[in-house]
Amino acid sequence: MKQTVAKLIDTTLCIGCKACEVACQEWNDQEFSQGVFHNSYQTMPDLAAHFWNLIKFHEVEKPAGPVWLMAKYQCMHCADAGCLRACPAPGAIIQRENGIIDFVEENCIGCGYCITGCPFDVPRLSPRTNKVYKCSLCSDRVAVGLSPACIKACPTSCLTFGSRADLKFLAEKRAEELRAEGFSAAGVYDGPGVGGTNVLYVLKYADEPELYGLPKDPKIPWTVRLWKGPLKWVGNTIFFGGILAAIVHYLKVGPKEAHEDD
Amino acid sequence: MTNGWTDVSNADVILVMGGNPAENHPVGFRFVMEARRRRKAKLVCVDPRFTRTAAVSDCYVPMRAGTDIAFLGGLIHYILENKLWLDEYVKQHTNAPFLVKEGFGFSEGHFTGWDESQGGYDRSSWQYELDTSGHVRVDPTLEHPRSVFQLLRQHYSRYTPDAVANIVGCTKEEFLRAAALIASTGKPDRTGTILYALGWTQHSHAVQLIRAAAILQLLLGNIGMPGGGVNAQRGHANIQGSTDMGAWNMLPGYLKLPRANQLTLQDYLKANTPRALRPNAWNYWSNTPKFMVSLLKAYYGQNATAQNEFGYQNLPKTGENENWGWAYFFDRMSRGELEGLISFGMNPVANGPNTAKMLAALAKLKWLIVVENFETETASFWKARKLGDKFYTGFASPAQIQTECFLLPAACFAEKDGSFVNSSRWVQWKRAALPPPGDAKTDQEIISRLLLDLKSLYQKEGGRGAKPLLEMSWDYANPAHPSLDEVAREINGRHLSSRQQLKASSELQEDGSTMCGNWIYCGSWTEEGNQMARRGQEDPTGLGLYPNWAWSWPANRRILYNRASADREGKPWDARRAPLRWDGSQWSGDTPDYKGDASPESLGAFIMLPEGVAKLYAADFLEGPFPEHYEPAESPVKNPLHQEVSTNPLAPVFHGEFDRLGEAKDFPYVAITYRLTEHFHYWTKHVASGSELQTNFFVEVPEELAREKGIRAGDRVRVRSARGFVEGPALVTKRIRPLRVEGRTVYQIGIPIHWGFVGRVRGPLVNNLTPSVFDPNSGTPEYKGFLVNLEKA
Amino acid sequence: MRGTDLKPRIERFNAAERVAHWMVAICFLYSAFSGLSLWSHRFYWMAAVLGGGETVRAWHPIGGAMFAAALGVLFVKWARQMVLDRDDLAWLAVGHRYAMHEEEGVPESGRFNAGQKVLFWVQTAGALMLLVSGVVLWFPQAMPRALRLAAVFVHPLAAVVSLGAIIVHIYMSTLVVPGALRAMTKGWVRPGWAKAHHGKWYREVAGK
Repeated sequence: MKQTVAKLIDTTLCIGCKACEVACQEWNDQEFSQGVFHNSYQTMPDLAAHFWNLIKFHEVEKPAGPVWLMAKYQCMHCADAGCLRACPAPGAIIQRENGIIDFVEENCIGCGYCITGCPFDVPRLSPRTNKVYKCSLCSDRVAVGLSPACIKACPTSCLTFGSRADLKFLAEKRAEELRAEGFSAAGVYDGPGVGGTNVLYVLKYADEPELYGLPKDPKIPWTVRLWKGPLKWVGNTIFFGGILAAIVHYLKVGPKEAHEDD
Repeated sequence: MTNGWTDVSNADVILVMGGNPAENHPVGFRFVMEARRRRKAKLVCVDPRFTRTAAVSDCYVPMRAGTDIAFLGGLIHYILENKLWLDEYVKQHTNAPFLVKEGFGFSEGHFTGWDESQGGYDRSSWQYELDTSGHVRVDPTLEHPRSVFQLLRQHYSRYTPDAVANIVGCTKEEFLRAAALIASTGKPDRTGTILYALGWTQHSHAVQLIRAAAILQLLLGNIGMPGGGVNAQRGHANIQGSTDMGAWNMLPGYLKLPRANQLTLQDYLKANTPRALRPNAWNYWSNTPKFMVSLLKAYYGQNATAQNEFGYQNLPKTGENENWGWAYFFDRMSRGELEGLISFGMNPVANGPNTAKMLAALAKLKWLIVVENFETETASFWKARKLGDKFYTGFASPAQIQTECFLLPAACFAEKDGSFVNSSRWVQWKRAALPPPGDAKTDQEIISRLLLDLKSLYQKEGGRGAKPLLEMSWDYANPAHPSLDEVAREINGRHLSSRQQLKASSELQEDGSTMCGNWIYCGSWTEEGNQMARRGQEDPTGLGLYPNWAWSWPANRRILYNRASADREGKPWDARRAPLRWDGSQWSGDTPDYKGDASPESLGAFIMLPEGVAKLYAADFLEGPFPEHYEPAESPVKNPLHQEVSTNPLAPVFHGEFDRLGEAKDFPYVAITYRLTEHFHYWTKHVASGSELQTNFFVEVPEELAREKGIRAGDRVRVRSARGFVEGPALVTKRIRPLRVEGRTVYQIGIPIHWGFVGRVRGPLVNNLTPSVFDPNSGTPEYKGFLVNLEKA
Repeated sequence: MRGTDLKPRIERFNAAERVAHWMVAICFLYSAFSGLSLWSHRFYWMAAVLGGGETVRAWHPIGGAMFAAALGVLFVKWARQMVLDRDDLAWLAVGHRYAMHEEEGVPESGRFNAGQKVLFWVQTAGALMLLVSGVVLWFPQAMPRALRLAAVFVHPLAAVVSLGAIIVHIYMSTLVVPGALRAMTKGWVRPGWAKAHHGKWYREVAGK
């Protein structure tokens, strides 16, 4: 069993320099586009099919004064991945042994179910290729022992890469430090609703993750669970049961003959 | 930087003011973050805007652009009032005990010696009181009323917290909170550093501002200490190198340019070689003759002999009060006094103040040569009206411009060898990563071929001023394309008889037996080879000095003034943070900023200065021996300290047709221009990734002002100054707080630079707004704090 | 061409009805199988048969839309005839007897028996749900998340109901009621067939 890898984002060390964004674009050979002004330093309003790593900027008023929160947003590589659950195409989304959720372009059929299944609203459909894309945690780099491009580029060590267990420990320790410094709400964001995420965040205001653009209580949507769970069984029962019932009926009762010529 | 990037991680308190390292020096900023995590260092950020640096700071104080001296003066006052200075350090390592002549004073905005008709000072009343042997009289108790210490106290007595808050626009509580943090480093076992950048240098009183920072750090005993210092973060990869090499109105190694009245080399050396003012001052500049003669030998080789003053007469000399700094030569150009310009890796149309003046000045030239990686605004200045349309209505159309323009494609940094000198003064050698594209040539080839062609033209045709060029030594294996290894070896210098590379500047001679292109780089390329190419990661002191990584000028010294990190007996102020140790016979650790085997008591710690100690009081600058708060040339208020002398009386004023200054009644808002992390100057707008990260020009408008003006996020606004205007979408933000100054609300508007009329993404040139106002000492334009008006476009 | 068959015939479905029905049937079957290929990874082999996953992704919505359109035609033709009357309700109450071919107590049917009518309405409702949710799933990037979340559940739910009903329909029409398939292919039935399965209708068309 390979170790589960993870990325730790210590938002208290993020300076919004966007080095991770450029590194991601360069390593993944993305096309560069031009932005549209939207009253923010943020590169674009949201993730895009050709932009997998976006620092979100939030101006927040706190009692102690203004706060400008910056947090990198990308695929969270959930242990229980909504995209994977929702995906109808075998092999299009895979969970690697090291925990990375990878989209395999050639197997993707572009249905977009993963977009709906994702509690973090991460995957994006490219209108050009009609396939869905997202951060791969640089699975190609990780496979050969390198750290993901964003981690490599980060100048402040806001980003760290390693085994999930180690990083979880570090994150909790850092949160403790922050609490000791007086940030009583500091904590680790680890998406318990999706069995933990392999992208961990240290937040000063962990009680309000939505300030950072993170969902408060991420869960795989219940409609997706219902669809992929009970409904599937009900459906299969109806399909196979229906056919079986017809055979039984035919054998037991047979056709209803009419005297045609009367 | 007095210290270096890696050393920032040794600090206990980091004051970021006049800079925004999180955005503009994100890689260096990692050391700030390290200090915060490792040592629980506190980050104090003082800035008109709540920047990305402010976002990760422990203490943010908003301020009005151009009031930094008031803030720093307030800190000095706070330290003196609350007795928080490091007393032994101040007595031992500064000129606090020095006595100043009778008659020095300051009143109503002027120091003594002001001459209204000359617009300058007679500095004789600022001088020290000397004894019969020519040494300064001192009072070690600091109690003499004419001691520097008492004069300092007196001068800053006006900078009370209330006065500071009233000028700066922050609250008194905010000031005091920051002051308490900063002043907490005035203890032997605590140090604080200051990081600054163009937010401090782009003022009409910039040099005095940095002096104020030095005074503050000296009082707190933070100069020479690991985790201390006054640290300029340089804004280009090699701007430190170009400064060191004298690209700015200097000779290499900070030797002064000859003046017209310095008729002989002797005159020059006499004027520029200081005399020691204390018996224990090493006064290293007393070696000026060795530096200068060795430089002349590098320039003129065989043609430099003792008989011809080593070719001194070949050097151009400027008039006595003449200034050929940037501001001045563009002013001359705008009056048609220049014939041609070679703009080498420089884009004056974009980065000079008052774009219209820049454009008009270039249009007066007969010829313009631009050497660049891209087609810049300067190379295409004649298209401004066409491309920049309405912003340049006052400017001639292409058909009316007679300037003959040449654009020479040059190799970019990755396409050539050479060195980068970073902010830490580390000279780091690099190798070309790939060949230049197309017809692009390396800088040295362009310069050499120009020179060789000029030489042969002079030889063939003769002409005025031929001698300096013809006598210039150009002794390279391939004169048309010298290798930078050869140039670097020449800069280091060598003994001419043995042809051995010099080990250190102490080997320089004034008899013409050594040559050296830049005395402060002596030791960068010795007989052991290229020291700049070293990549050793050893850190014997454990302080992050990395002595075997590249080479740091001078003498591979990582912390300047490091002798001051120890007391009179050589005992470090803080044993855990000692860059130097004295073992009874010599110093070890960092390269000592001291004689290596001189006992701790024998010399003053500041070996470069004739005083032998650091200057709290300095009669060397134009505006006075103590920094005083002056308002920016364009200010919403009269100087609350002295209404009559509101702005820097020494700041040069130009009177050309474009040199207009606005008043608060027409232009009520304070504007500042700055860089964004996503871009590098006017360069990355040509690059895909940079353009993606920040495509659009914008204007940052405080929420309250936007509400007042009915401006919503994204509305197109017009910002107008007395010089011109720009237009773009409004970024309405909480991050620029309105300030209370002299009982009124002052709004500040933020305008990022980076756009222009050529490139992948385009936008207005922000310098269309900025005034041709400069610091009188450095010639740096006042980009922080000028007046504008704002309206919906 | 009646050829040598001179026995009496009654026209059950005219050509337009037959064409519409088979359009519906073909589109339904295509949508059903392409849809089933995405229902479970175990059925994904069907996608290969139908030209691969991407083709299925591209054409399933088109097949579905065509199904809905064709069903719309049938709806216009048949909706009035499909209104359940009192006899139909009585019929439904004893549906289990009908299933066991017991005739006693099962009311006579009109042109469509109550079972067929229920099928019609089930398929109509199903198609409507499939259409609306299908459009949402067709263009996920353009749809608000709440709609998409509803659609991912509604679409397969409606498909299950619709498929369940169609299994009954196909079984009945091909195996249980000989002659029913011919009625939809060739369009006619024998009077005896009509009398036996749709007594009320027989009397109407026979004028008795």
